[in-house]
Amino acid sequence: MTDIDRNLINSESVLKKPPKGDCYIWLSGLGLSLCLLMVFFIIGLIVWEGTRAFWIKDIVQITLNQDSQTHIDGSKILGGEIVLKQQKSIAEVKKSGDPNESNMEWQLYVGNKDHYGFSFFYIDAGDIKTITKPGQLIKIEREEYGNLIGYPEKIIIDNDTAIDSDSSIFEGQFSTLVNEVADRRDEIKKLEKAEIGKINRKIKSFQLQKRTTDDPDSLKGLEEKLKSLQKEYEQLAERASRLRQTQNSHKLQCRLITGKRIIIPLGSIINYHYPNQMSISDKLFGFFQNISNFIVSNPREANTEGGIFPSIFGTFIMTLVMTLIVTPFGIITAIYLHEYASKGVWVRLVRIGVNNLAGVPSIVFGVFGLGFFVYFLGGSIDKLFFSESLPTPTFGTGGILWASLTLALLTVPIVIVATEEGLSAVPRGLREAGLACGASKWQCLYRIVLPASVPGILTGVILAMARGAGEVAPLMLVGVVKLAPSLPVDGIYPFFHLDQKFMHLGFHIYDLGFQSPDSEAAKPMVFATTLFLILLVVILNLTAVTVREKLRKKYSMSAI
Amino acid sequence: MVKKKIENRYHTARQVILVDSFMGKLIRFGGICVVAIVFSIFIFIFFQTLPLFQKPEISEDIVIDLPAGEYELVGLDEWSELPFVLDRKGNFRFVDLEHNIGNISNFSLADGDTFSTINYNQNRQELICGTNDGAVKIVKLNYDEQFDNNIRKLSVKPKVDSNYQIGRQGFPIHMIEYGDSGKNKFIAAMQEIDGQQEVSAISLSQKKTLFGAGKISIRNRYKFNDQIDGTPDKIRINSQGDILVITTLSGDVYYFKINPNSCDLMQVFQPFQDLSNSEIDSINFLFGGVSLVFTSKTGENRIYSLLVPEFESSRIFYHTKSLNSLSDRFQFYAQSLRNKLFLLGTKNYISLRYATTEEIRWESQVNYQIKDAKISAKYDKILVLDDSNKLRILTLSDPHPEASFQAYFSKIWYEGASFPKYEWQSTGGTDEYEPKMSMIPLICGTLKGTFYAMIFASPIALLAAIYTSQFLSFRYRAIIKPTMEIMASLPSVVLGFLAALWLAPVFEKNIIFLFLTMIILPVSTLLFAWVWSLLPTSLTKNCHIGYEYLILFFVIFAGGVLSWYISPIVESSFFSVRNPGTNETAANFTLWYSQNSGVPFEQRNAILVGFIMGFAVIPIIFSISEDALTNVPKNLTSASMALGASRWQTCFNIVIPTASAGIFSGLIIGFGRAIGETMIVLMATGNTPVMNFDMFSGMRTLSANIAVELPEAPYKGTLYRTLFFSAMILFIFTFILNTIAEVLRQYLRKKYKTI
Repeated sequence: MTDIDRNLINSESVLKKPPKGDCYIWLSGLGLSLCLLMVFFIIGLIVWEGTRAFWIKDIVQITLNQDSQTHIDGSKILGGEIVLKQQKSIAEVKKSGDPNESNMEWQLYVGNKDHYGFSFFYIDAGDIKTITKPGQLIKIEREEYGNLIGYPEKIIIDNDTAIDSDSSIFEGQFSTLVNEVADRRDEIKKLEKAEIGKINRKIKSFQLQKRTTDDPDSLKGLEEKLKSLQKEYEQLAERASRLRQTQNSHKLQCRLITGKRIIIPLGSIINYHYPNQMSISDKLFGFFQNISNFIVSNPREANTEGGIFPSIFGTFIMTLVMTLIVTPFGIITAIYLHEYASKGVWVRLVRIGVNNLAGVPSIVFGVFGLGFFVYFLGGSIDKLFFSESLPTPTFGTGGILWASLTLALLTVPIVIVATEEGLSAVPRGLREAGLACGASKWQCLYRIVLPASVPGILTGVILAMARGAGEVAPLMLVGVVKLAPSLPVDGIYPFFHLDQKFMHLGFHIYDLGFQSPDSEAAKPMVFATTLFLILLVVILNLTAVTVREKLRKKYSMSAI
Repeated sequence: MVKKKIENRYHTARQVILVDSFMGKLIRFGGICVVAIVFSIFIFIFFQTLPLFQKPEISEDIVIDLPAGEYELVGLDEWSELPFVLDRKGNFRFVDLEHNIGNISNFSLADGDTFSTINYNQNRQELICGTNDGAVKIVKLNYDEQFDNNIRKLSVKPKVDSNYQIGRQGFPIHMIEYGDSGKNKFIAAMQEIDGQQEVSAISLSQKKTLFGAGKISIRNRYKFNDQIDGTPDKIRINSQGDILVITTLSGDVYYFKINPNSCDLMQVFQPFQDLSNSEIDSINFLFGGVSLVFTSKTGENRIYSLLVPEFESSRIFYHTKSLNSLSDRFQFYAQSLRNKLFLLGTKNYISLRYATTEEIRWESQVNYQIKDAKISAKYDKILVLDDSNKLRILTLSDPHPEASFQAYFSKIWYEGASFPKYEWQSTGGTDEYEPKMSMIPLICGTLKGTFYAMIFASPIALLAAIYTSQFLSFRYRAIIKPTMEIMASLPSVVLGFLAALWLAPVFEKNIIFLFLTMIILPVSTLLFAWVWSLLPTSLTKNCHIGYEYLILFFVIFAGGVLSWYISPIVESSFFSVRNPGTNETAANFTLWYSQNSGVPFEQRNAILVGFIMGFAVIPIIFSISEDALTNVPKNLTSASMALGASRWQTCFNIVIPTASAGIFSGLIIGFGRAIGETMIVLMATGNTPVMNFDMFSGMRTLSANIAVELPEAPYKGTLYRTLFFSAMILFIFTFILNTIAEVLRQYLRKKYKTI
């Protein structure tokens, strides 16, 4: 809109009637508004639901009317976190003839799955008599069966001494004991994962050697080594089991809201709070603690509890390897197409082809990756180099290397297109000046053109990373798994285990939402994971956009 | 030309030249390599699918001369290592095909009886022999594996397992049949008594004890002659022993259902009723035991299957397939033990036929006289016994008999189905299960999802693109475009998850609200625009043009609130259902829909997929068409404005027609993206391969099908290659669409240059 026609439209003397067709402009504006609304709504929803999952909610204790049909284990007193209050569907309201029934229902997270058999419970809003928030209610995060919600009664130390919850030393004792337990848990984990794992790997490699050697002397040596390893293993295993026993020596007695008394070993407690006693600042602290725990810890209980560290790490490593592969090849191809290939029908066709490839469905790349990389290439590598461990495949099955290669193929058109764009944005004058000064073609390219087109290349690489990090469908065919036993990079020689299967944020979402045994309980986890994936992808994309804008400005400023 | 000596300082350093040429070569090599690799994707997938369409390769490998004898039939073991021929006296000749090829060992059943008829069951490795005395002997072939220095050796001991009197004593049995379901066994025999053909049968029951199979006892005896009109000619029992068919000389077929305690006549039919000569030359069960392969005296070949025909209620034999005729009288039939293929031939002609697609996979005229033939259990060899006592072993290589263009793209009448149809169901519970691999339901599902996505996405995206390029104030364009890019970058797994777990239940409850909003929003926007135009300019001038979309947020909000309050009224007045039990009415669209359309309302349906996939496609259509619209040369629009056209007139009459190729290309690319989208459809549809375009039912798309089935498909199996084939269809489809879009865009670019 230039100033002239703005003046025209704004001056009342000219415009007695509104210009023709203005209402259609409004209609087209509706399209944009709807788009924006949808984007903000979806992102807002994910951010809201994702952060809400970390917030510590109050626990309510609800007493139901005596004549209501609802109860847990016969008790009319129940409680938990209020998940949502919703309107019932009309059909449900009509079905029962209860006069007290309201058309609202509450969903409660009651926890204690091992005792109730469920962890979510619906109650009718009309049945509620009183709602209280007792301060003593505790929420304990356990290793198994989700959370426990109830009143702590006493700690039983070594089966005889008991400390009542109303005694003054209870709090201090409880927290020191829980800390001790956590330290011991780390120790057990270290023992089992690192040390026993190391011995296991040694035993495996010796056994493989045993299978391939025929020499009786070395056989004997191997057998001796195996025996000593076995002994070492047994010692470590015993130590671990002793530690495990100490873990369970102290116990905590609790009373559930329904009145039932239960005793749990302190060893199963990971974390606990008294949500109703917490102030806003406490809760805020807990909120950030929850977020950091979520990022750094491993998943538990079929991924529905715990953290997502392996998924973040897997996504990161896969994207990194993919970027390392795709960047040089994409750039070389773009340079070839733009600078070296003779302009003609061939290059035009290739360019159309490359552009089109960006629109080929990702699952097709997955199919290719499975057929070519995993079965053909991986199978051949196994036959050549890992024949001793066949028929267990080493590279002949999905793995992080094949996944990265597949995604590299998928994203190489993005890098090529962006780099070419960057190359053609370099002003002709710069190039000609370089050549006129006597630089060779390569010198001109290397010293002048490439540095000038770095933002373009960077844009392409970042976009490729964003695409690669968010893509799931091809990964499902070439090596992503629900739960990987170990990370693809660790402290064990040769440090990078590129043949290993890995976990991925995107697949984690799919798996949690669709294959988890309790999808209701997994919902907060899925939203939280989604939030992380979205953050990753959006940040990458925004970076790319900013870099590109800078590039544009730079060249629109330059006078050439 | 005089060569001038160039001064030293003008020389280019050798190193520079070397590096330059080296890098040039490296880049050329690398570039060409990458381009080649990227395009080899298609070639690789194509070559993976090629074996699907290959004809079987059959070659005659070994010919073994047998000692003189009157051989009746040829048989072979599960591993096709030790085939045999057998004469009526019970003399076996076992031929070694594994270690000492061609070595013949003899074996004779000890009792030295001459059998009047022998029936060989390849599946159970049993021989059922009728004697001249009206008795039946079941001979078991017990194969035994032994390992001698890690070399596997197979040996066999035929043994008479049981002996029953079945027909009338003293009369030879000339046809015998046997079926076994494990618990119940059924044997039927035919004898000629005083010139009369008599059919008699016994049913046996075997008690199951804790210690395995127990004693067998005769439960019932049956005679069939009084139920049959005409002279019985042939009898057949399927291998499960629940169907008995008897043919007569005049061409009638009697179908009896065998129950544990009775044998009931279910159906009488004439397979060749329409021919002048309706006599039946041969009748045989196909693998699976529910289809009969007939040939007529004139060589006609038909298949009748047991099914419940349309508009009928009972399971009867029904004509489902007609295959090419034989030119001569029938000589032999052999069924494959893993699929619906069978061998059929005359004296000097042999053909391998596939019942499901009515296709002749292989045929050959031979210059010898065939007596009998068999297909090996692994479907890798064909054994032919000829007149001059030669056993010919043909090697058969046909890894994918089920695959063909016909199986993928045309209606197939599968066994047991009431009518021919397109169906995808690649795996089933039993060995007899036939994979059904029609691509049509998948293609249909793909197009269905895409169709709904495009219906939702294209108007919104195009309107947004038009507004952004033509009317939006410049200042905001720099924000809007990155926002749309973020919209494009949302991973599809996130959208799919939101659709399935969050949106699906919301949709189900508020479907009327959704539809109402779709109507109310444009209407209220137009209404608002009209009211706005009536407002005095002094009021409206404070709102600069280019900011309409911000004001529209309020309109959308108001429209949403309005339809939220109207929707229960609409639902209760138009979509009420009456509960026949309580006679109460309730307003519920989902119930109303499934009651009135007969199609169940699914929570994960096409509307949901269309909505969320549309969300994924909008930014793609938007960015391409916005590009095209923005790049319309300024002189055109300025000229139009100068002539007094309003903004909309310019836009509608000048800009849109000029950029139409670009807009179209955007739509095509969006279409291509929706076709290949995997995670959204995988999560937000029920993944059932249905063939309809119904709004409220799910679908299964090509891409989701690959994601679901490929991880479990055995390497290089038929399913594996078929999924590669469907990936190829996807690839070709999107590649063609993208190429069209690209060509359109290039055309547009050229056009803009010339204007």
